[in-house]
Amino acid sequence: MVKDSLGYITHGSKTYHIWMIFLTAIMLIGMYCYSIQLEEGLSATGMTDRVSWGLYISNFTFLVGVAAAAVMLVMPTYVLNDIDFKHAVLIGEGLAVAALLMCLAFVVADMGGPSVLWHMIPGIGVFNFPNSMLAWDVIVLNGYLFINITIPLYILFRHYQGKEAKRSVYIPGSILSVLWAVGIHLVTAFLYEGLQARPFWNNALLGPRFLASAFAAGPALIILVLAVIRKFTEFNIEQKTINKIAMIVVVAAQINLIMLVSELFKEFYAPTHHSESAYYLFFGLEGKTALLPWIWTAIPLNVLATVLLTFHKLRRNPKVLYFCCFILFVAIWIEKGFGLIVPGFIPGPYGTIAEYRPTGVEIGVTLGIWAMGAFIFTMLAKTSIGIELGKLRYRKKEKLASKAA
Amino acid sequence: MSEKKKWFTLDLGFNKKVPTASSCGCGKTSGGCGSHEAPSPSKNEHAMTAEEFDKAVEGTMVDETRKDGFQQVFDVKMDRRTAFRKLTASLLVGAGAVQTSCSVIAGEESKEKAQIDWEEQFKGNYKLMTQEERDATVDRLVRSYQLRKKENIKMSATDASKDVLFGYAFNISKCQGYMDCVSACVEENNQDRNSQMQYIRIHEMKDGEGFKFNEADDNYYHEVPAEGHFYMGTQCFHCDDPPCVDVCPVQATWREEDGLVVIDYDWCIGCRYCMAACPYDGRRFNWSKPEVPEEEVNKNQHYLGNRMRKKGVMEKCTFCIQRSRAGKDPACVEACPTGARIFGNLLDPDSTIRWVLANKKVFRLKEDLGTEPKFWYFMD
Amino acid sequence: MIELRILLGFAIFLCLCSCKHTEGEYHSLNDKIEEEGKKYHGTDISSETYIGDIETLEITEGGHTFLIPERKGQLKSYACTECHSKPLSEMQNNANAQRAHWDIKVVHADENAMNCATCHNGNAMDHLKSLTGNAVDFNRSYKLCSQCHTTQFEDWKGGAHGKNIGGWSEPRAAMTCVNCHNPHQPQIESKWPVQFNTQKVKERE
Repeated sequence: MVKDSLGYITHGSKTYHIWMIFLTAIMLIGMYCYSIQLEEGLSATGMTDRVSWGLYISNFTFLVGVAAAAVMLVMPTYVLNDIDFKHAVLIGEGLAVAALLMCLAFVVADMGGPSVLWHMIPGIGVFNFPNSMLAWDVIVLNGYLFINITIPLYILFRHYQGKEAKRSVYIPGSILSVLWAVGIHLVTAFLYEGLQARPFWNNALLGPRFLASAFAAGPALIILVLAVIRKFTEFNIEQKTINKIAMIVVVAAQINLIMLVSELFKEFYAPTHHSESAYYLFFGLEGKTALLPWIWTAIPLNVLATVLLTFHKLRRNPKVLYFCCFILFVAIWIEKGFGLIVPGFIPGPYGTIAEYRPTGVEIGVTLGIWAMGAFIFTMLAKTSIGIELGKLRYRKKEKLASKAA
Repeated sequence: MSEKKKWFTLDLGFNKKVPTASSCGCGKTSGGCGSHEAPSPSKNEHAMTAEEFDKAVEGTMVDETRKDGFQQVFDVKMDRRTAFRKLTASLLVGAGAVQTSCSVIAGEESKEKAQIDWEEQFKGNYKLMTQEERDATVDRLVRSYQLRKKENIKMSATDASKDVLFGYAFNISKCQGYMDCVSACVEENNQDRNSQMQYIRIHEMKDGEGFKFNEADDNYYHEVPAEGHFYMGTQCFHCDDPPCVDVCPVQATWREEDGLVVIDYDWCIGCRYCMAACPYDGRRFNWSKPEVPEEEVNKNQHYLGNRMRKKGVMEKCTFCIQRSRAGKDPACVEACPTGARIFGNLLDPDSTIRWVLANKKVFRLKEDLGTEPKFWYFMD
Repeated sequence: MIELRILLGFAIFLCLCSCKHTEGEYHSLNDKIEEEGKKYHGTDISSETYIGDIETLEITEGGHTFLIPERKGQLKSYACTECHSKPLSEMQNNANAQRAHWDIKVVHADENAMNCATCHNGNAMDHLKSLTGNAVDFNRSYKLCSQCHTTQFEDWKGGAHGKNIGGWSEPRAAMTCVNCHNPHQPQIESKWPVQFNTQKVKERE
């Protein structure tokens, strides 16, 4: 299978090759930037003692959401046997795997001592288990990665051999993965929520909001990806499937918006000392306004997309749908990426306001990791589409030979 | 090596007793074997050839005399090109140590250096070490410094004493902002001179406005005390229920029996979660390689205290563990010309710190967070 | 049903694992200090070596016993009677009297409250004198200060005022008043800090 799929992914149309070469080039740039960071230390990034987490952790947080949301499509397909979603799901799980690998890459990029990361491997290192939320996160992320690799692999492998997958095998797995998806997201939210030092994060709504925004951004990305796949391959994705996913996006986006309003109300109706971070984010503090253009892009985009998608007619129009999904994705990336992480540090514990500005190196590494994610996803998607389309099948000849043996 | 291990140890057979060293093919572990003189192609899979590596190592050895700071094995001087080539190797766990130990360098010393680096790379968490292991790592670090800098350091690993719980009190009315404490702290604790790392921050605040940290001047640059201002110092408060300890994913930081919150610099992975969790801005990160001029290095060190750090790890105030565990006042207390800083044993009912707690109107910062800092403020 | 059970199990697991605060026996740090302090047996850590070459003498004031630096040995020309062989009035009236201590200016309270004679006895220069005229040894000059500065004296005895010498452990040694304050001009002048709060131009601006 590996050999077959290797052969399969190295062949493709011209567009496909250009796309892969483009991604490889960005990955190489990212690696170069990372080598600079390794040599100079994290001083090569824009992070300081004041704002000690930046672009890497922002992207990590956002991508955990994407990974979690991708699997929400699993439930109806496998358990309710809703054939509609089946095609979308393999793509979704591929997306989850790619997103998770990107998450892990972002965490590694953020580490001061990547050479001692083995201290974090359970069994070999020392784990601060129930206490540290980061230890939980490492466990749940890797567990999730494992689940999301095994289930599709099993299904694809069965299809590859030309058989149907057994329900009794994958259904418990997919139930687990759905629960786990909620788990990874809540644990990641708790990572921030549990810090009494940072009032901006120490907020009970953070976990639910993480989930809501993830279930908007994740499926939105899936819709976009499905659209691309529909355009470039013969893989048939029915409009019905996309409509259903769009429904998930709308509901999640609406809930997300309600929570946003609730949060804004709490911060600005009776502002306390703890609302300073929110002030910084939305209005700037003491003339420091670096995040203003970003957040004021994100909020209107978010509202616009949600409102547009709420109307059935508009949502049925593919052009509007794709546009809305795109702006929603961007809006949530801003809002839940550095719109969440950076203001947590500003003002600092003693009110110091020091802004954060990512350096070229940091941006290079970030782009490189995104390219890596896209690269992995393209490979996974191509293989699974190949199998699903029946192009990639266990060769009869070998099968006979093995039977004879 | 003890049988019961809480972490993973890789023994590549560097112990002198074991003759089958994987470091070179000649079977000799001590002394140079013939093949070592000529640069032979490396058997390793990593991207750097042995020749390049030799060059890099030679570079470091020449640099040794003027280079300062902690010389980590990864910090061999290299240009961007070599760095890039080395990238793949560095991503592997401990690749640096493998390189050093597997490369073919002549001489007993470099062999020993490589072995020390290897053992240091794969040693365990200090908190969980047995006494022998602790002694061994201290000895290795002392020896390593000797090999690299030709200087001797004194490193202790004194444990917490019974019936001791360290506490600190700070007299706001007395502090005049002279900054002697900061100076003494930097010198005592071998903090990075390049990034001007300081554990203590002195905040200049306006009289009559209360504790408005956000309006305080942390960067003043004038004669002190300034008219109508008061001064307040902050540093690590050694919380009794420290949030930084809870969040560390690898237990690289913990609270000692005598209340000191310490870090095992070699176990820290540099995730900076503790920094985000600290409500008191008490933690510092080595964003780049820390450097201290050789003549300014404080050679009286403690494993959990002021020993040399490397880049990418956390550090912070330890109440000068190397001094306080030996009965001496921390450097800031000793340096303060005003007597604003009071340090002592909280469990001793006759100590001065206990007198202050009992007789002055003391308070702590952000008490509502439940972190129980052992650092009190009071006024005359 | 199975799902429900799994959910429930997960919730219980979460609860079990998240009890991170091992409350211990004490409600607060203060209680802990109080209680554990009762079992205090002393430590074997000594700070004696850190006092260094300073000559000290032991004093006991208000239940506190500690060491203070010896003073007489530090004075430039003690004993005073080596010059002040006669009462001051006689020496000052002498036509060829030598001018001494001419540079000392008293900037301490105001002239209604303080002059040289408040603390010095012109007839017995080897000792200081209290407000009531009793002799006070130069080594125990704090007794003079404490006549007016009673709160500072209380704080000093307890350890809240003044500077500790050497280490935090036994034996306790502390600077006495005159080690920091010039008794004639006790106010401490403002000065430039030993280093700037930050040397970084970028952060200063």
